[in-house]
Amino acid sequence: MTTECKIGVYVCSCGTNIGKMVDCDAVTGYTKNLPGVAVCKSYKYMCSNPGQEMIVKDIQRYGLDRVVVAACSPRMHEPTFRAAISHGGLNPYYLEMANIREQCSWVHDDHQQATDKAKALTCAAVKRVPFHEPFDMQSVPMNSASLVIGGGVAGLTAALELADANQPVYLVEKDGKLGGNLARIDLTSPYLDSAKDLLAERICRVTKNPKITVMLNSEVESISGYVGNFKAQIKSNGEAVTDIEIGSIIVCTGFREFDASKVGEYGYGRFPNVVTSFDLEKMLKEGRVVMKDGKTPKYVTIINCVGSRSGKYNRYCSRVCCMTALKYANGIKSAAPDAFITNLYTDMNAFGKGCEDFYRRSAERDTIFMMFDKHAPPTVSAAGKGEHFNMLVKVNEILSGEEVEIPADMVVLMVGMEAREDSMNVARLVNISRDKDGWFIESHPKLDPVATSTDGVFIAGACASPKDIPDTVAQARATTARILAKICQGEIWVEPVYAEINEDLCSGCRVCNELCPYSAIDYDPVKKRSAIISVMCKSCGGCVAGCPSGAIKARHFTDKQIFEQIEGVLEWASSRA
Amino acid sequence: MGFEPRIVGFLCNWCSYTGADLAGTSRIKYQPNVSIIRVMCSARIDPTFVLKALSMGADGVVICGCHPVDCHYISGNYKAMRRFPLLKKLLKEFGVEDERVRLEWVSASEGQRFSEVINDMTDKIRALGPSKIRVQLDADKVER
Ligand SMILES: Cc1cc2nc3c(=O)[nH]c(=O)nc-3n(C[C@H](O)[C@H](O)[C@H](O)COP(=O)(O)OP(=O)(O)OC[C@H]3O[C@@H](n4cnc5c(N)ncnc54)[C@H](O)[C@@H]3O)c2cc1C
Ligand code: SF4
Ligand code: SF4
Ligand code: SF4
Ligand code: FES
Repeated sequence: MTTECKIGVYVCSCGTNIGKMVDCDAVTGYTKNLPGVAVCKSYKYMCSNPGQEMIVKDIQRYGLDRVVVAACSPRMHEPTFRAAISHGGLNPYYLEMANIREQCSWVHDDHQQATDKAKALTCAAVKRVPFHEPFDMQSVPMNSASLVIGGGVAGLTAALELADANQPVYLVEKDGKLGGNLARIDLTSPYLDSAKDLLAERICRVTKNPKITVMLNSEVESISGYVGNFKAQIKSNGEAVTDIEIGSIIVCTGFREFDASKVGEYGYGRFPNVVTSFDLEKMLKEGRVVMKDGKTPKYVTIINCVGSRSGKYNRYCSRVCCMTALKYANGIKSAAPDAFITNLYTDMNAFGKGCEDFYRRSAERDTIFMMFDKHAPPTVSAAGKGEHFNMLVKVNEILSGEEVEIPADMVVLMVGMEAREDSMNVARLVNISRDKDGWFIESHPKLDPVATSTDGVFIAGACASPKDIPDTVAQARATTARILAKICQGEIWVEPVYAEINEDLCSGCRVCNELCPYSAIDYDPVKKRSAIISVMCKSCGGCVAGCPSGAIKARHFTDKQIFEQIEGVLEWASSRA
Repeated sequence: MGFEPRIVGFLCNWCSYTGADLAGTSRIKYQPNVSIIRVMCSARIDPTFVLKALSMGADGVVICGCHPVDCHYISGNYKAMRRFPLLKKLLKEFGVEDERVRLEWVSASEGQRFSEVINDMTDKIRALGPSKIRVQLDADKVER
């Protein structure tokens, strides 16, 4: 198949991202002499239109039958270059990428060594690519029903959007009612519309819509299958199990609040009038802001970033609490017009639309703002006997440089958002990953923010990271656009990369049957051979390495291809010694 | 230049390769001695891959997969974990030092950890010196 290959190799300098550390001309100079290489070029931006066109033209001009692109990670641009070569008339699987950016130029700081490594990686790709085989995408039917997990504002929005497009939806909510955390909120920043109104409209439309099956007090027990063709079991009220079939899954499981009692110096749990933002929301919803003894507070101190940003608990910013704190200044003033309000903040993050104006308006409404260092938080202590207030808040105010003591009847802690305690189980259920803080990971943070590493599984709202309502709703709608696009196509194309058993080599030992985590391998008792059901195989390769007879081949990850890569990286190195 | 180890890394696509990419996007520096080969899951890694790399003169081989409960394919890393001691036993019989072949868990968010694993391994192998096979291969080459 191989030695007569005509390989085109394209080395990208990625602006200066690669070129600054790797000498791309030296890489092309070395690579062009490797066996099979018909043409080898370096270019500023291979992924740009001119870059891709260069490949397309060369395929025709030089009659190339394989292409290697040494550039960024294949996780970034493999689809781009596969599309490009297929535009040039080659099978998309005739491409191999060498990752000389994420795994080379960006992580090394010695020019010579980085250049040497880029040569080795490119050499490995050049040796591997002749052994690539052509594959055609597999078409599978697309089930138009979807499963939405979580009935907060994200889940409600996603369900409505799909149902409005006439597609069936199962909305599974753990709790006994819909609404999620938004149902615990009074007014919403920055325009102060009522959360209740926002939700009532959604919930009312969801419960009335015949396309939506709402399942309360329910949880997903298990999920199997693959994009377009998932099966799920839903357990309701701890017992009844419903089996459903769906084509897509949207995870909208939201967040939980940071446990304020972890921060000893704020006295939550110790002082009855130290409350969290959610405690205050409850009071505001009831229209009464009162202390435990029923009296109206005169001095209210709001402390921002509780559990967020300092790294002592969480390092990230929870994004909504700065603006939420501003709305409290308004809300408290309405319920207790004589109250003095102080807002202790670390930075005022007013980045959203309408937020900076909201900050300015609030600053005009008798709130005193004081800034503290996130590593030197304020402390809350009991006031001395006979004082007319009940607590004392001490803060090192950064802007004035002074230590300030503030009287307080009530302290409001702006608790941050955290990944839910069961996020790990959900991640495993739908087979997606979590970041170090427990938030679900998107397929690409900028270009593909609602898809995940599992085809057909999407994430929206606060389960992916702290988010306000507008961003949550936008994401929820984005997931449905992705799903509706697939439904419109009627069928979906899945990667033809799976494992295959060579009947002639299979001894019928059935070792592989047990190894497959997806039960994708069947045993044929008549033939006394095993066979893989291709659409069920997810190409992990576990059976391939486990078959004692070497009868199983992993498409696109064959032993031969990997051996060539190993030789590539090492041969290059020893030729230098 | 003194002895520079050559290390081959076999990384699973979903956690470890992504973690290594994250080290890149976060610009976390590590020593350039490792060349990475991507496989879909640590379960795909046939012991022969490791033997092949060593026989071609690699001074070390690192296999990286997802943390025990995190494998994208549910349990692939358990398969890798179960195969590993057998491989180690075999390597011991061949006289390959323990430090040369490692199995490590690196998640998609552990760019920092990946860099630490590579630096630690590079330092240890640098201290150990070239593999016997590499010394032999290099000697053969000089003769030729
Ligand atoms: C104190 C506070 C005040 C806020 N104020 C504002 C504001 O003024 N303006 C603004 O824009 N934003 C505000 N926010 C942010 C807002 O709450 C979020 O943007 C919003 O709630 C996110 O919605 P969601 O649907 O993603 O998650 P959630 O509201 O958390 O909903 C998730 C739902 O999923 C369910 N669920 C979880 N796990 C499972 C499971 N395994 N199976 C089934 N169901 C499950 C939960 O029971 C819940 O119903 C505030 C946040 C806080 C903490
Ligand atoms: S939004 Fe404001 S209060 Fe919340 S964590 Fe970020 S900086 Fe702190
Ligand atoms: S493990 Fe190999 S030989 Fe045994 S049944 Fe499976 S394919 Fe056939
Ligand atoms: S490659 Fe993995 S998913 Fe496919 S049949 Fe083998 S064990 Fe099952
Ligand atoms: S996918 Fe990472 S170990 Fe299986």
